[in-house]
Amino acid sequence: MKLKHTVMAAAALAVGATASAQAKDKSTLQVVQDRGYMNCQVGQPNPGFYNLDSNGNWSGHDVAFCRAVAAAVLGDPSKIEFQSVTSQVRFTSLANGESDMLSRTTTWTATRDTQLGLDFTTVTMYDGQGFLVSKESGITSSKELDGAAVCVLTGTTTELNLSDYFRSQGMNFKPVTFEDVNVLIETFLKGGCDVYTNDKSGLASRRSAFPDPSKYTILPETISKEPLGPVVREGDNQWGDIVRWSVFAMITAEELGINSGNVDDMRANSKNPEVRRLLGAEGNLHTGLGLSNDWAYNIIKMVGNYGEVYERYIGEKTPVNIPRAGSLNALWTNGGLIYSPPFR
Amino acid sequence: MSDTHSETDMAKAGVTRDAEPFNPKPARLPPGLSVGPLAWMKQNLFATWLDTIITIICAVIIFMLVRHLVTWGILDSVWDAANRRECMNKSPEGACWAGPRLWFHQFIYGLYNVDERWRVNLGFFVLVAWMVPLFLSRVTVKLPTAAGLVLTYPLFTSYLFYGGEKGIFWTIVSALGIACFIWAMINLLLELFAGKPLGKLLEQKFGMISLKSRMLLLLALWAAVSIVWSGVELEVVRTVRWGGLFVTMVVAGIGITFALPAGIVLALGRRSKLPLIRIVCVVFIEVFRSVPLITVLFMATTMVPLFLPEGVTFDKLLRAIIAVCLFAAAYMAEVVRGGLQSIPRGQYEAAAAMGLGYWRTTGLIIMPQALKLMIPNILSNFIGLFKDTTLVAIIGLFDLLGMVQAMSEATDWIGLVDEPYLFAALVYFIGCFAMSRYARHLENKLSTEHR
Repeated sequence: MKLKHTVMAAAALAVGATASAQAKDKSTLQVVQDRGYMNCQVGQPNPGFYNLDSNGNWSGHDVAFCRAVAAAVLGDPSKIEFQSVTSQVRFTSLANGESDMLSRTTTWTATRDTQLGLDFTTVTMYDGQGFLVSKESGITSSKELDGAAVCVLTGTTTELNLSDYFRSQGMNFKPVTFEDVNVLIETFLKGGCDVYTNDKSGLASRRSAFPDPSKYTILPETISKEPLGPVVREGDNQWGDIVRWSVFAMITAEELGINSGNVDDMRANSKNPEVRRLLGAEGNLHTGLGLSNDWAYNIIKMVGNYGEVYERYIGEKTPVNIPRAGSLNALWTNGGLIYSPPFR
Repeated sequence: MSDTHSETDMAKAGVTRDAEPFNPKPARLPPGLSVGPLAWMKQNLFATWLDTIITIICAVIIFMLVRHLVTWGILDSVWDAANRRECMNKSPEGACWAGPRLWFHQFIYGLYNVDERWRVNLGFFVLVAWMVPLFLSRVTVKLPTAAGLVLTYPLFTSYLFYGGEKGIFWTIVSALGIACFIWAMINLLLELFAGKPLGKLLEQKFGMISLKSRMLLLLALWAAVSIVWSGVELEVVRTVRWGGLFVTMVVAGIGITFALPAGIVLALGRRSKLPLIRIVCVVFIEVFRSVPLITVLFMATTMVPLFLPEGVTFDKLLRAIIAVCLFAAAYMAEVVRGGLQSIPRGQYEAAAAMGLGYWRTTGLIIMPQALKLMIPNILSNFIGLFKDTTLVAIIGLFDLLGMVQAMSEATDWIGLVDEPYLFAALVYFIGCFAMSRYARHLENKLSTEHR
């Protein structure tokens, strides 16, 4: 008797929860529009890329691309529910339909793209593994690291890259492994190891929390390629296109000098045909995506162009402080790799 | 023999001598340092040279620790700063309490919509008010109130916290919770100020009033509440936004309320003479007891959606709660079985001799005795469950611990770890300590023998 009631109470929690069966042949776009909000998968908070602010909202570089897709599809970047899961279950959680897209510093690799039933759409940030040392040590290049004690998080590809690099350089190193990044930092700061290795974005954000960040430097070498970008389920090409072209719209907007401040003006007055096509003032680029013609306008108006997003969350004015100029993440016109196919 | 002689001699002598009045000498002071705090210290801390050395070393260590804690946590601490860098600039060696202070509301409510947080508060206050009659000894109607709380409070709060469109069914179901709450409050006030519950008062005024008419009164109240309630619609707050201490309480609260009744049923099932029931219960208990909770949680969050038809999703928080409930029930079943086995066979035989059947024997003779014996075990199980709920942080729910971790990864507070963790430790300590004190109180109150 009591059991029955408790089960009822539990069922009470499920009320209105998304327990409605959806037809199998519906596209992701249709499902998201019917539902009225998008499920975006991020990771457990990571400074600059996806973290909670003091109002309980998700923000960050990777979060912005989810918001862009929501702006394009639903016309409102706040119509998102964020799923935050550990990195072990991230692909399962996307494949089983719990999330519509994944945007969480995930490296594009051949295995992941071909064997997991997932599609990588494009790259939103070029990261790579590097080394952090104290300036006092006098080390200026990773070639001088022979015999060094290296602090590294265990069980990550970082650890594998590290031993590959030292082997290929014919150098020795002593790994000091940790489960928890905070313990690692404490050890590093107290001199428990000479070098701390991680993705350079991670090194930069951790360094920003050191008592005196100016005493530490990131060595110039990058020992691995870590192209990060949003991922979708395989088998729904339209949805993949929407995500991919949402990112491209942000890149193209930056290239064309459109930002959230001047987008209205550009839409009304620009004579540049590519600007007009992008913002939906002419042409019918939106039809293939199944969106309304102001989809890209919404992204730029509500979220911003690529450069704005970068500077807002991980640029030099933020605590994370990853300089963009001269890096791979500069626009192709400035010598970087951020490049979008044309809007034609 | 000689003793007797000498005594009688002395007695004779006493009689013959002039009797002086007996004036006892004032008691001498005890030899120095045998009573009082100094003596205690000498006896316990400085008895030998070795003791003295150990005492001094310990005192120095304690002094250093306390001094460090006080300087770090109080004297050098920063309470007002916008981010961690500002804290470091103000006082590099002190605690940065500004972080937990700014995030306090997030620790309590998680990502719950800021404008809707009053709903969580309301739910909490209703719970506390509903529990008041259970703790006051002046209130006599306890069982119906408790049953109403356990059975209908979740119905009401599940809508209160989640919101959205209710439809007729949910309007009526959740209104039952409100009606029962109002009923309980009316009874509480009447008992406090008129000295009698509603039923007794009506009986006095209108003569005999049957249970049926009281039920009719409750039904009328329920109908009235339903009509008013149908006009209220709250904004949807999906469970991915539930977080902080709120979610910890939801998971632990449902787990605890479910575990005891389910555990009793399972334990009785395991001792049942019907093979099918026994086997089902044994398999359930053994399966859930032989895997760690985290495995059950991972199964619930990642495997369950794979078994469901495509497109059907099933709330993640609900899956976690069900997993916690099943797990807790399996453990509770073994605690209850332990209690049942400690009841001597004579009790069963005596009950049988009085002509009681299985249900009456269990309900009237065995369970009351067994439950009383099990209180310490049950409560330590509850405390364990309360702490185990932190594991839901691993599957991506932002309970108190999850929020604490989220804070140390927020851009403004990167790497601020010790202070928020200390805060969480304090909250868990308060919760667990309160539960263990309550268990002691219950034990004292219920122990009627073996004093």
